[in-house]
Formats: sequence, structure tokens, C-alpha cells
Amino acid sequence: MGRRRRRRPDPADAARALPEAIAALSRALPAAPSPETFRRAKFDRPEAAPALWRLLFRVLSPLPADGASASLALEAQARWVKSALRSQGYPRQALVQLPDEGFQGGRELLLALAWLLARGPLPERLLTQSRVRLGDEMPLCECEALASPGLPAPSVEAEGCVDIRHLQWLMGKLRLRWRNLMAGQQEQCALLGQIHAYTRGCHSDRSLGHLSVTETELLRDPKGGRQLLLQLETENARLEAALEWRRRELVFWQWMDTVLDACPPEASLPTFLPRIPKLGAGAAGLLVRELQALQEELREAVEARRAAWQAAVGGHGPEWRAARRALQTAVAQDLAALQRAWEQDEGRSRPHGPCRLVRTEARVPGGPGLWAAGVTEALRAREACLEAVLSQLQSQCRQELARLAGARPGLIWILPPAH
Amino acid sequence: MSIVTVQLGQCGNQIGFEVFDALFNDSHCPRGLCSKRENEAYQASCKERFFSEEENGVLVARAVLVDMEPKVINQTLSKAAHSGLWKYGQHSCFCQKQGSGNNWAYGYSVHGPRHEESIMNLIRKEVEKCDSLSGFFIIMSMAGGTGSGLGAFVTQNLQDQYSSALKMNQIIWPYGNGEVIVQNYNSILTLSHLYRSSDALLVHENDAVHKICAKLMNIKQISFCDINQVLAHQLGSVFQPTYSGEGSFHYRRNPLGDLMENLVPHPEFKMLGVRNIPQMSENSLAYSTFTWAGLLKHLRQMLISNAKMEEGIDWQVRPPLSGLPPLGNMSVNKETRFNTSIANLVILRGKDVHSADVGAFKDPALYTSWLEPVHAFSVWKTQRAFRKYEKSAALVSNSQSLVKPLDMIVGKAWNMFASRAYLHQYTKFGIEEEDFLDSFMLLEQVIASYCNL
Repeated sequence: MGRRRRRRPDPADAARALPEAIAALSRALPAAPSPETFRRAKFDRPEAAPALWRLLFRVLSPLPADGASASLALEAQARWVKSALRSQGYPRQALVQLPDEGFQGGRELLLALAWLLARGPLPERLLTQSRVRLGDEMPLCECEALASPGLPAPSVEAEGCVDIRHLQWLMGKLRLRWRNLMAGQQEQCALLGQIHAYTRGCHSDRSLGHLSVTETELLRDPKGGRQLLLQLETENARLEAALEWRRRELVFWQWMDTVLDACPPEASLPTFLPRIPKLGAGAAGLLVRELQALQEELREAVEARRAAWQAAVGGHGPEWRAARRALQTAVAQDLAALQRAWEQDEGRSRPHGPCRLVRTEARVPGGPGLWAAGVTEALRAREACLEAVLSQLQSQCRQELARLAGARPGLIWILPPAH
Repeated sequence: MSIVTVQLGQCGNQIGFEVFDALFNDSHCPRGLCSKRENEAYQASCKERFFSEEENGVLVARAVLVDMEPKVINQTLSKAAHSGLWKYGQHSCFCQKQGSGNNWAYGYSVHGPRHEESIMNLIRKEVEKCDSLSGFFIIMSMAGGTGSGLGAFVTQNLQDQYSSALKMNQIIWPYGNGEVIVQNYNSILTLSHLYRSSDALLVHENDAVHKICAKLMNIKQISFCDINQVLAHQLGSVFQPTYSGEGSFHYRRNPLGDLMENLVPHPEFKMLGVRNIPQMSENSLAYSTFTWAGLLKHLRQMLISNAKMEEGIDWQVRPPLSGLPPLGNMSVNKETRFNTSIANLVILRGKDVHSADVGAFKDPALYTSWLEPVHAFSVWKTQRAFRKYEKSAALVSNSQSLVKPLDMIVGKAWNMFASRAYLHQYTKFGIEEEDFLDSFMLLEQVIASYCNL
């Protein structure tokens, strides 16, 4: 962990500045424990650990906490935090070795938090995630959500056999839920369109022109607006706390040095080995033999394939050259298309994450934001690519099924209808 | 989100009218046992789902009426307009001058393709009126001529043209001793075709509803109108608004989607049944009070013993002890048999609904081994009372309860098929023996799948 430049601190100042800095941090982060907990954590007191586990869970989650994730048991949260930190490259072995129950290791957790704080603007990022949104928003892309580790799913232990009907049921349920989601989304779009059309001309900001749902609700039900006001005030308080934290954070880092010193020395760079399930000696031997046999098979198959190919290539002159040329042009076209797509995206520097929906007749070229038509076009192109890949995979599957059907003459296979 | 209803044939149109009438009357019930604001939200939700509004405030049902003869459609239109409060769209009907003689093949192979464009145009116009489409109801009989053959054709078309919208077919299961000789042929052809192109088949059995009219409603001369009204009551109690979740007071926006997600995600198991409690004539209502505990206890036993109404329930039938398989493997011939469910949806409406305890429905013994109650059971609630019932409960279940009737129909159809009786009526219009064989195969598979729960 990086060390900040040391400066000889004035004891009186430090005594006052540190609690204030930690208090600011605690106010700036969501669901953060009290400054007292931080102090207890330095001394590795057990009561500090659960609060810090929960804070790390909240901070590392890709999406704002909802009821489901918040109600996860402490053990599950701790396990998830460990895996999330590991996937981000957290170097300290001691954290991984903490028991999952969550009542030990306050000091290690404090170090982990500091590591996250040092890596990037954490309070600011969290504030962006949870900011109060006045407009109707739609996400443009999901790259952030896709890149981060998903939230822990309830683990289902499959003891022995699973009835295939159960799986079919779940698959069907997933499909239906997907359809219902699509229908719900279309409904939402239709209704949003109606509200936007109806409130045309009502917004004080001319560039927006119409009201969003939140703004309409404010007009319709001023008492409900009190809730919004409270949210804005809370957000304001957190913003101010974040600013204060930035002013005072130096003294926090000096304190963290002392925390690091208080830890027992760690062994040099630990390597994380994947956990190999314990195989019996017999099973391991069998596995090794099977792998060797497979390797032999592969080698023979490769050699046979290569020989056949070379024979085919060597034989035909002009036909082969023509085929090769066609192949080269096809590849060149694909590469060019990729290049174009890349350049287009780069040039436009597409915004990420949620964007406010504005319905407008005016054609304002060069204004901020994107036209929905452009976005849908890009999405359609991507859909076409994915469809092509899907049909390729499906035909591969079908070929494989046909091969299997032919391989076992004693069995009667009833293939699914091709559609 | 809106649901567009397609009413097919005499059966579909008569029932459709009763359904819209029940929905409208319920949503405009002055009482409802809840606050004015809540009542307005309920009304708005029901309206958006089933009706569109004309300028003068009159509600127009989101429906397309199809029949091969004009008589029933005209009756339906005038009955609706008579109330002055809601009606069908003037241009939402399609009818011809001829019938189809209860010939499934004629409905499917001739009427269907001939009138495909007109019918789908009408449906498209209705869909365009919706802000967002949740799906389709298709109300049809299984055994008649127009409703069944044409219904199968229309459902297939809906699958092709609106593949992302959900489809639920409301199927009227004919009387066991029906009048139409070829009703079993029609039934198996309808069911097999619908199984391929529909998402859910909600079955209403004429025999069961008839008994409800006789025993519970004390109606002496039971007419189709009475039967249809009971049916409409059952459907209304399922699809009227309910809260979107535990502790929420917003009405759920897509009940059709939520129902399908909970009950029919598996492509082999699409048959659903509805049970309702309490069901009685409106005169007796004023003198009855119920507790949730009592209602739910009866409903659960109705499910387990495969009873269709709350009278004459066999209380001897018990769920198997946990860990033991149900007594013997399911043989269709056993009389009283424990009815295993795959999934259940309980819908509660009325006073103190939040205090109702549905724990008994979460018993794993009720369900098949491969689905746990947490996946298999769901409950919807609303405080707003349904029609004049202070408390009412409905149960939509995907269970073995339709296996026996299905098996009977398949058996009878097979016997006829084996002697090649009446087949020429079908082959004349393009339904070959292979189509029959395919249908038998599919339905045998369905029966086997349900038996092996």
C-alpha cells in the first residue's frame, strides 16, 4: 500500500483533526458506521467488524442496495466482499483468512476500506450512483453493471439427481418473466410518452420543454414533494461531508499508517491458488490416465486433420487460390467493419449510464445528448450481430445432435422440430 | 395493461357477454367495503384492462365477436347496449349468414382461412386501441363446430402474429352426455391444436357448473344463462384487480402475465381449473357470514378431493404422509383419489383479507415432488369485496383434476376412431387420419405427464 509523505504533526491539531476527518468520511459514505467504530477497528475490537463488513458490502455492490441484498446474512455478505476484493486485486492475505461469521478482523477491514479509498474517488462515485434523479431516465449501456461481479445469488444445493421437470419449469418461468418484463417496459414507455406529450410547454427550462414523472407528481401532490425535499437535503449533507473529507483527508492517511504498523508483518506477495477439491488417490490417478488418453486422441485427430487438409490444399491450384482470395476479402471486410464501428463509437464518445429522456420536436443539431433514433440504430446493428452468432451456435448444436443421433444405431432419437 | 377478448361461436359470445357484464357490475358496485379512493383505483384498473372509453363516457368492451350466424351476435349486442352503461363496439363483430353444422374441419379448414383477414383485422383494430397489450382471452366451446374449429385456427393465427402476447383460452368442456355425436372428435382436435399454440387452457366444465346451479344456487330450471353467469362470476373473481404484492396497495398491472408465470411455465402442463367459494344465490347472501379460516379449509379440501363446489366434499381424502408416495400410482379408474397439484394460485377478496392464513396451501404434500411450495404456491389479495360477497376466495390450479375427464373423452373418441365412424366429415375438408393420430398422441402424452406427478 502506498505511503503518503510524512509531515511532523502537531499533537493538538491531530487530536482534533482526526476525529473530524473520520466523521466527515462517515457522513459522506452511505451506511457508514460511527467514528467510534473506526477507532475500535484500529484496535481490532470484535464489535467493530460487522459494521465494517456491511460498509464494504454496500460500497462494493454494483447497484444501490435494495431490500433483497441488504437482508443477506452477515456471513454471505462477508464471503461476497472477500471475492469482490480479490477480483479487484486486493493484495492482503490476512483479509481472506478472516472467518466468515464476521466478528473478527476490524483492523484488516479498515485497511481494505482505506485501500479502496486510495484507489479512486469512492465517496464521489457512490454519490453519483445514488443521486436524486428528477428526470425520467433510461440507461444507455450496461457496461458498468456487466463488468462488476454480480450480487450473490441464493445458492441451491443439488443433492444427487435433479428432476428435469423442475428445470423445465424454471426455464419456462424465466421466459415468461422475460416476456412480462418486456411488456411492462413497453407499457412504461407508452405512458411516459403520454405524460411528456401532455406536459409540453410546462417546464421552466426551455431546452427540456416538458415535465418528467417526478416533476409532474410534485405539481399534482405537493405534500408528496416533501419526501423529495428530504432526499435532496440528505444528498446535500452528504455532498458537503464529501467536500469536507477532501479537505481533511491527509490526517486520515497519516493515521492509517499507524494502523498498518499495528498489523503483524505479512509474508511476501501471496499467490492465490484456486481451491482444488480433494480427490482420492484413485480418482486422481484415473483422471490423469483419462487426460493422457484424451491428449493422445487429440494429437492423432489433429495429425489426421492436418494431413487431409494438406492433401486437399496441395491438389487444386486455381480453385484453391480463388477460395483463398474470397476468404481473405471476407476477413478484410469483417475487420474493416469492426474498425468503422470502433471509430464511430470513439468519435462520438458515447455517454455511459442513465440519461434523461426528453421528448422534443425541435431539431437542434450538435446539442448535448443523443437522439433515440441513433441509439436504436446502434442497438439494432448489435442485435443483428448477436442473432447471427445465435443462429451459428444453433446450427452447430443441430449438427452435433445429428452426429450423436447417427453415432448410436441402437437408440431412437426424436429430434426437436427445427424452427 | 389491457386484455383483448375474442368471443367465438354461440357459446363464446353468450359467455363473453356475461363476463363483461359481471366485470362492469362489480367494478361499479357502490359498496365494496373500502374507501372511496380505493374503489376508484379498483374501477380504473378494471376499466383499463377490459374496456375502452368513448367520448360520451360510455365504456366499450375490448372484444371481438365472431360467429358464423348472426342471431346470437345480434342478441349479445343488444343485451349489452340495453344497459346503457357499457356496450360492444359497433364494428367489432364478424358474422356470416351460414352455420357450420358442428363440423370442426369446416370451421378450421374453410371458415378459418376464408375469413382470416377480416377477423385478424378486427383484432388488430382492437389491439391498437390499447396503450399496452397484456394478452388475449379466447372464449370458445371445445365440442361445437364454429367455436372449436375456428377457435383453434384463430388461436394459431394469434400465435403467429402476436407471438409476444400471452394467450389464454377459456374452454367450455361439454356435458358428458352431450347431444353432438362427434363432440369427442371435436374435443380432441381442439385440445391438441390449442395445446400447441396457446399458453394456458382454462377449462370450465359444464357438468360441474350445472351442479353448482342446481345445488348451491337452487335454480329449478337451469338455463344456459344461469350457467354462463356462474362462469362469469368465477372468471371475474380471478381477473378483477388485486394488489401487486404483500403490503402493497397498488393494483397489479399484469394479472394475466403474473398468473401464467406462476401456473403454466412448463410446456407440458397447461390445463387449469377454477374453483370458487362461496357461491350462492344472492338472496341467501344476506344471511350468511363466513370466516377466512372456514373458507380456506373448504377450498383446500375441494382441491384435494377434486370437488368442484363446497357441498358434498369428501373429507376422507387426505394428502399422503410426507416421504411416502401417494397410494398406488395414479390409475385413472380410482374413484376417490388425492388430487396432486403442480401449482396453485389463491385469490382472496374482502374484509380483513390480510388476516387470512393460507399456510395450509403451502403444505408440500399437496404438490408434486419436483416443485416446492415456495415455487408452486402464490396468493393475491385485495380488500375490495367482489360483488356482494363480504369475503370470497378463488383458486386457480394446475393439477390432476382434469385427467379423468380428458381420459374419458380420449377413450370415447378413440373407440369411434377405431371404427372409422363419421371420419368422412373431416377428411372431406382436409383433416386426415394422421391429424387425428397426432392429436391422440399429444393428448395421451399430456395424460401420462399429469398421471406421473
